[in-house]
Amino acid sequence: MDRMTQQTYLYNSKVGKVLKNINKVMIGKDEAATLSLVALLAEGHVLLEDVPGVGKTMLVRTLAKSLDCEFKRIQFTPDLLPSDVTGVSIYNPKELQFEFRGGPILGDVVLADEINRTSPKTQSSLLEAMEEMSVTVDGKTIDLKKPFFVMATQNPIEYEGTYPLPEAQLDRFILKLKMGYPNPEQELEMLDRTSKEHPIHQVEAVMSKDELVEAQLQVREVFIDQNVKQYIVQLVTATRDHDSVYLGVSPRGSIALMKAAKAYAYIHDRDYVIPDDVKYLAPFVLTHRIILNSEAKFDGVSTDHVIEELLEKVAIPVRREFR
Amino acid sequence: MDNLAQKSKATYSSLIYLCGFLLFWEWLRPLDTISDTGSLSVFVIYAAFCFFISILRPKWWLSSLLKLISLLFIIDSLFISEAMFSQSWFIVLKMHATFNMEVILNQQWYQMTPLFRSVLFLVLLWLMSYLLYYWFVVANRIFLFILLTFVYLTILDTFTTYSANAAIVRTFIISLIAMGISSISKEITREAIKQVNVKKLALWFIPLFVVIFSSTVIGYASPKLNPQWPDPVPFFTSTAEHAGFGSGGGNAVQKSGYGENDSRLGGSFVVDNSPVFQAAVNKSHYWRIESKDLYTGLGWERSTDLDLQEQDNDQIDLEMFNDSLETEDLTAMVRFEDDANLSKVVYPYGLTSIQGNQQVQYLVDRETGTIESEGGEFRDNGQGYQINYSYPSFSLDKLITSSEEDPEEISDLYLQLPDDLPERISALAEDVVVDDQTRYDMVKSIESYFNRNGYNYETNGVAVPEDGQDYVDQFLFDTKIGYCDNFSTSMVVMLRTLDIPARWVKGFTSGQQADEQAPNQDLTVYEVSNANAHSWVEVYFPDVGWVPFEPTRGFSSPVDFYEEASATIDDEQEEEETEETEETTEDETEEETSAADPRVPPGFEDFETGYTPNGSSQDSASIWGWVVAGVVLAVGASLLYLTRYRWVTRWLVSRYKKRHDAQAYQDAYEYLLKVLDHKGLKRNKDQTLREYARMIDKIFESNEMSRFTHHYERFLYRDEASSEHWSKMSELWENLIKRSLS
Repeated sequence: MDRMTQQTYLYNSKVGKVLKNINKVMIGKDEAATLSLVALLAEGHVLLEDVPGVGKTMLVRTLAKSLDCEFKRIQFTPDLLPSDVTGVSIYNPKELQFEFRGGPILGDVVLADEINRTSPKTQSSLLEAMEEMSVTVDGKTIDLKKPFFVMATQNPIEYEGTYPLPEAQLDRFILKLKMGYPNPEQELEMLDRTSKEHPIHQVEAVMSKDELVEAQLQVREVFIDQNVKQYIVQLVTATRDHDSVYLGVSPRGSIALMKAAKAYAYIHDRDYVIPDDVKYLAPFVLTHRIILNSEAKFDGVSTDHVIEELLEKVAIPVRREFR
Repeated sequence: MDNLAQKSKATYSSLIYLCGFLLFWEWLRPLDTISDTGSLSVFVIYAAFCFFISILRPKWWLSSLLKLISLLFIIDSLFISEAMFSQSWFIVLKMHATFNMEVILNQQWYQMTPLFRSVLFLVLLWLMSYLLYYWFVVANRIFLFILLTFVYLTILDTFTTYSANAAIVRTFIISLIAMGISSISKEITREAIKQVNVKKLALWFIPLFVVIFSSTVIGYASPKLNPQWPDPVPFFTSTAEHAGFGSGGGNAVQKSGYGENDSRLGGSFVVDNSPVFQAAVNKSHYWRIESKDLYTGLGWERSTDLDLQEQDNDQIDLEMFNDSLETEDLTAMVRFEDDANLSKVVYPYGLTSIQGNQQVQYLVDRETGTIESEGGEFRDNGQGYQINYSYPSFSLDKLITSSEEDPEEISDLYLQLPDDLPERISALAEDVVVDDQTRYDMVKSIESYFNRNGYNYETNGVAVPEDGQDYVDQFLFDTKIGYCDNFSTSMVVMLRTLDIPARWVKGFTSGQQADEQAPNQDLTVYEVSNANAHSWVEVYFPDVGWVPFEPTRGFSSPVDFYEEASATIDDEQEEEETEETEETTEDETEEETSAADPRVPPGFEDFETGYTPNGSSQDSASIWGWVVAGVVLAVGASLLYLTRYRWVTRWLVSRYKKRHDAQAYQDAYEYLLKVLDHKGLKRNKDQTLREYARMIDKIFESNEMSRFTHHYERFLYRDEASSEHWSKMSELWENLIKRSLS
């Protein structure tokens, strides 16, 4: 968790302000905040896996507020219908016409809470919107506005009555992260801060929606050298050859890792990617994209172990070839 | 559980440390033999105490205090009579301290008081207990000390009187136990074994002790090879003492030099260059000591007891030659080295008188030519003695025409041969002289026989006759290698089978010309060493007397032969003798020729280096030269290698700084990584440059490496043109390199 604090670089001024804002509300959640921003800037979505009450909602809300974005929340329940997500056309007797009422998915920052509690049908409606950047209601396709950022949460301890997300759908989240509990000091400070008024009410927007979209475009321009790309490919292909792995990382994973690395470099005010970015992000980008085989599961090997092992195995590129 | 593991680890390290103490004890044991250390047991006990305190791991101040108090206690009990910690006690201590400080400042080391020396030694023991604690317990590296112990013991055993026979065995056992325990403890740590039960431990220890026991027993009982290198001690501390030739025989390697006992000849020897005496002479010549007449098949003995008679010092006549010989009156001064162990007078042929200490009465045995004095005091006056002699030259005509009727007393003594002398010796002798008419021709034929028929001069690998073997027979027919004893004895025996009276003579060759100034201009000083000890042959010619001959390959005849003008020469060999008489001048350049062709002239060339003809002295000198050159080269090369980063860096720094291309940046950065790697700061392949730079900066307590690395990253991962980058960063790079190397 503390790996983030080791990185003592300058932050991009705008993004730095956002992080500072989040820090006002969230205590000791720098890493989750940074990673959320990475996903946001890389135009991806985040899967948060953690127990209730550790501040998932608060994180997303603060993020939305800081960015002057519309925040929408969908609480997934078993009886939720796809139309509850996407929206529905309602007959307007006055105008004698069907009128589209947009669902929560049309927000800028969407929190999809406990996504594994709803039926696959409803899940796929969300995931389709994430991938296609559009929703189709009654044969009409509506493009989603930019920015569009989904943070889906998943409770890892209650499995009864849940519909685990299939591999293909997990793949659509650029990274998966965990919040974790605060340590006692942080928790104490949290109590202090929230005893009167919740600090989220004081949060003000520090970055406009347009600026965010502009930043997303800039992230695309971040330079990534051939040898760093090679490093990514080596890492990804190594997951496919690993003994404990039943299904390795898809090429979509490589793209995700590259995008995330670019965003991470951007956050640190760098216009080029270094292997450190890739190495740091690899566990968040890759772990949910591999499926372990049954022997590995039986031996208690976790996906984290596998990624850690691969990071040790794959050499960092430190040479430039001259011709 | 962890506690238990720690406890067992502590047990193992204590055991290893105990072994360390036992090894260290082996370092102390020889001290009373090789030095004047007294009360050794006190020091051993103090060392044990220090080791014991160290293993208990008390706080540092407590352990220092305990060790200091016991140190003072020892000093008090050994040296100071005053009551401990009384006022006078401190005064004594202070006096010692100031005195010794002065002594140290004046660098008069030998004046240090025993008390002070003891204190220093005790402090050394104290420090050693720390050092060994670190090696054995903290670093768990014991092999180095074990190796040092072995080296120490072998050096002491070689160069001092300390006998390390038992110590080596003890050290071997202790080291094996220590290494066994150490490897067990390492295994336990590596496998993270929390608790080892007794049965499992037995599985470890039983094989360990079986191996130690069996290897010790095998090592102890198995036959030992003789030293593969000659004993190096004579090269360093050569003394004339105990030098002996043929002193008992056996396969043991002997040292060259003069010895009394020749009853069993043969065996290899090493050249001992320690000087015996110096002689100032007009011309270089052999120095005679005595002759022997009885050949036993194994060596030489005297058939009669020495008949030592007092003679007038001014008129000594050994009656070796007929008076009619042409002689040259000469004088020589002989001075013995203080440690030379020679009880007989050395003299040149033709001795007439000895002048030295007036009180010395010389005793002469005419038969063998042995001259002694009571208790050998002739050389104890420090002055040596002066010898007057009439040095003979032998007329070839006389020798050729000499009658062959030997007096009875001569043939009785000097034709003796052992009854079981192999027949083939006399057959060979007959064969060699088959064309010769006169005694002289026969003698010359036999003398030169060894030069042609595959006989070689060697001091190494020379055989000793085995049971039933004859010394001469072995040399003549089997081994064909040997040194002067082999050649001279063989010649005497062969002559005797031809009924020519001959005897075996011992002495020294002329020696090496010394740098020292002679007492007067006509004289030249020669230094004669144990390496010049020699043996040759004297043959009896009735009208002439005893004439010396030199059969040993590479040596030239000890005396001059000349030819009278009127004599007719019809023999090729005698023609050569003519040349020989002319070439009696000393000539350095003769060396090679005379060594290569032993038939070249006799005379007293400089080249006689005693027992090392055939250029073997040059050989050994050049071998030593090569060895020294090799050692110097090896040391130089390893120094260069060890310091390679320093000088290579200096060179690379200037080289890289001159280059301005992008590649130079990469090469420079990679060289920096290499230097750091050399310093033990290796970058793992999964470590990014930043991670590595942070690690380095943490160690160096700076941010230079990170700064440099951040910059380098732009080149590496941003693909920026970097020539100007590099020139900007080269200073920083140089700093980093220097810092890494410092």
